[in-house]
Amino acid sequence: MKKIITAFTVGVISILGLVSSVQATPWDNLSSEQLEARLVDKFSAGKYSTKGADSCLMCHKKNTKVMAIFDGVHGNMSNSKSPMAGLQCEACHGPIGTHNRGGKEPMIGFGPDSKLSAASQNSVCQGCHNDPKQMAWHNSTHNLEEVACSDCHNVHGAKDPALDRLTVNDTCTSCHTRAKADMHKRSSHPMKWDQMTCIDCHSPHGSMTESALIKPSLNETCAECHADKRGPFLWEHAPVMEDCSSCHSPHGSVNENLLKSRAPQLCQQCHADDGHASRVSSQAGLDAFSAGKSCLNCHSKIHGSNHPAGSNFAR
Amino acid sequence: MRSINPFSLNLITLALLCSGTSALAADFGIQHANTSAINQASYQCKRCVEPQGHSGSVGVSVGAIDADDNHAINQLGTDTDGAVAGVNSDVAYQGSGYRANVQAHQLGMDNGFIQMQAGKPGQYKFDLDYQTITTNHGSNAATNLWQNNGMLTPSEQTRILDLELQRQRSGIGFEYDFASVLGLGLSSYARYNHEEKTGHRSASLTSPSPINFANAVDETTDKFSAGVVLDGSNWLSELSYHGSRYGNNLGDLSLPYAPDVYSATPDNQAHQVALSGQYRLASSVFSGRVVTGRMIQDQDLVQMSGNPIQNWDGQVDTLNTHLAATTRLNNRLRLGASYDYSKRDNRSSVFDFAQYEYNPVSGAFKQNTPMDIDRQTLKTDASYRIASGYRLQAGYNYKQVERSYGEREETRDNELWSKLNIRAIDKLILDFGVSYSDRGGSDYQANELTSEESESLMRKYHLADRQRSEVNARASYTPLTWLTFDASTYYANDDYNATDIGLTQAQDYGYDVNVHAQVTQPLAVYAFAGQQWIDSDQSGDQASVWQAEIQDEFINLGLGATYSGLMQDRLTLGVDYLFANSDSNTGVNGYSSDNYGAYYSYNHSVSLYGQYLLSPQMALKLAYQYERYFDTDSASVTPDSIAGLITLGDLNHNYNAHQLMLTFSYKLK
Repeated sequence: MKKIITAFTVGVISILGLVSSVQATPWDNLSSEQLEARLVDKFSAGKYSTKGADSCLMCHKKNTKVMAIFDGVHGNMSNSKSPMAGLQCEACHGPIGTHNRGGKEPMIGFGPDSKLSAASQNSVCQGCHNDPKQMAWHNSTHNLEEVACSDCHNVHGAKDPALDRLTVNDTCTSCHTRAKADMHKRSSHPMKWDQMTCIDCHSPHGSMTESALIKPSLNETCAECHADKRGPFLWEHAPVMEDCSSCHSPHGSVNENLLKSRAPQLCQQCHADDGHASRVSSQAGLDAFSAGKSCLNCHSKIHGSNHPAGSNFAR
Repeated sequence: MRSINPFSLNLITLALLCSGTSALAADFGIQHANTSAINQASYQCKRCVEPQGHSGSVGVSVGAIDADDNHAINQLGTDTDGAVAGVNSDVAYQGSGYRANVQAHQLGMDNGFIQMQAGKPGQYKFDLDYQTITTNHGSNAATNLWQNNGMLTPSEQTRILDLELQRQRSGIGFEYDFASVLGLGLSSYARYNHEEKTGHRSASLTSPSPINFANAVDETTDKFSAGVVLDGSNWLSELSYHGSRYGNNLGDLSLPYAPDVYSATPDNQAHQVALSGQYRLASSVFSGRVVTGRMIQDQDLVQMSGNPIQNWDGQVDTLNTHLAATTRLNNRLRLGASYDYSKRDNRSSVFDFAQYEYNPVSGAFKQNTPMDIDRQTLKTDASYRIASGYRLQAGYNYKQVERSYGEREETRDNELWSKLNIRAIDKLILDFGVSYSDRGGSDYQANELTSEESESLMRKYHLADRQRSEVNARASYTPLTWLTFDASTYYANDDYNATDIGLTQAQDYGYDVNVHAQVTQPLAVYAFAGQQWIDSDQSGDQASVWQAEIQDEFINLGLGATYSGLMQDRLTLGVDYLFANSDSNTGVNGYSSDNYGAYYSYNHSVSLYGQYLLSPQMALKLAYQYERYFDTDSASVTPDSIAGLITLGDLNHNYNAHQLMLTFSYKLK
């Protein structure tokens, strides 16, 4: 018991120590609007430092997070397009003004602790990053939901978690928790171990297609990996050609093959030919209609058939 | 990325910025910077420590896998069974203005990749990648049909194999930015990808009764993309081409007594040319895209009596256009709108083909029906900041789809939605959403091609009248800097109010909660839980009307911790646990229990690991992963237990799998 109390006491002290160590900035008392107004004034005045990054690093050099900028492309001084080759720290954080005289004047800050609006934070990044990947940003869900670039990206480091194949799924699912859960359903795309990533189908910066898909339509997005189902087929199954998601839940399903329901029920939601498709099947595994592949025992070419006699997708 | 000269102050944009600061969001873009007083020549960077040379880490993993079932490859994400080895690396090189990196993960295992990039940032980049993805869709499939050279030969000997597919992907890409050469905002790219997919998948043929078999897969997909990007100070455009060619290396399948009983998936190709652009004017942004494409399939057809052609000239032309605009009227109100038009014009030839099944409408012959689809979508939205920390969004979406040869030639969908975002409460984020949509359209009728085949009361769910209501809520609470709670919940109801036969209603609701705590500097813990229910009602009509209820349920639980403060911070320990259970209960004719038969799966995943720093450069990680996996489907029966049907046997899984992996990594810097 004594050990438990000791451990608890140590834990509480550690927690308090951690909390007290979080340093508040001198401009925390400003509202978001006040902060933005101050920064706009500073930005317009354009009082940049005389020595560039050295003026900043005089105080911030001991901060490993700050210094990690040099591990990534944004700290690259030999690349003419890198901020470090131009206005250096102030290219992103704005003119220093009198910030280095006591550190009380606000700078443009990023991340969850910044009171600056997402749109204003993002304007810094978009000043340089306005390429085709960002072409649809302004109408994107992420923009409308006021997601900041820094919510996903980290430029102060060698690796950006949003650009690393092994961490991009974690980055997305930190907000998209439902999609994260879907990865563990009975059937899902191989996302759990990062063989596939969210950005194989979706463009996080928005796209000109529904659901920010990477191709001009949903079916064309699916055909990027499932070109065998693209067609055209001699005999087309109408809902397949119209929309793959008519039958499939791409993020995962409790049914096999990402299907919305299993056969025969799924098929019977559209087919009720007398005496055949609409036959009542009360238990699986009893007959040729409910066992094995169910309707697909016969209609196996359900995505389309190229057999001259394949109008019912049976061959 | 655009080339920016930070010292050329654009007076027009500065004027816009100054005049707009009171009403619009700030624009801190570098091109708006007031750099008139800068003397960059006096810049120093004595404190800058730009690393030169190699950095990152390389490593090798060796491990042992003990699994009762090859299906475990899905759960373990590495390899199937026995000893495994793979190479890992995450190495970057920087020097003399050049950068390169090589990332490898489990290279050498059934699931792994390597990607390499090299180039001069801002000028050009060259990349290569290779990846293998292996998935198992069923193990121990039993078949007496031995496939060889297009022939399925029945044998007394049963063949047992895995329904496993492996994709081997490779790609090469090149990007070049002409900005530094021509002084123009002009860049270009080209990329080629090749994929080979091999293995077996479940299939079925009828001759005349159904026989399930494991169909060999050997196919390739080649993709090529290229484009040029041209941009200016407030505009951007891209012209691109994308082509894809699918090839099936295997042909039609025959039985010794029945030729061409199963047609092979035909080769096909698709080509697209896209022109897209964006234009920014003050606080408004306009974007648009036109994509024109063609899909072609002209594979030779099976030659049989009643087939009038050698090969079919399948051709579908596509057109996709998109126009969007968004404008911020002031710092409270933003408006947006978009319009989409897409057309699928199926220009394939039409012939009469003899069918084996007699049709009361078309007789023994049937004509192929090349389907055309036209879609139009109009979206409008507004975002209004009611007060500091309170934002209301609302929108209206209209979608119209016209299709040929369908029971319903036109469907129209009207949707209204709204969201409320609250950020006014300290440490608490709240989001609420609600939407309502109504789908109607032209008269639902079986057309002349299907009227004799379809039940007149059937309404196909993707065409039927539907009223959809949805509400959702999300909260994120951070009471302490080290502690975060997230919770979300949703409810959606689809009411097919004009459907007597078919899907009549579907409800989808659930929640998930997450907690993360950085308890102390070395100790972090997390836990999450989520549940989802999808309830569907449908009815059918054979001799009399019958009903079915489908109740899908999913639960997902997880927790874990990492502790990195042991042995003078040299040792990091971690544990993760995850449980997932997928369950689908179907009751027919009023039964709400699972009388249709068992259909569920669950898995327990436990991961334990420890990483010890041998030196500042070297680390050793030992990881153990345990998987308990079970799935069952009562439709899965032994091969010959059903008269008139031969199946692949019991494809259910019930196994334990263990994986022990030792990874040595060496830090280069």
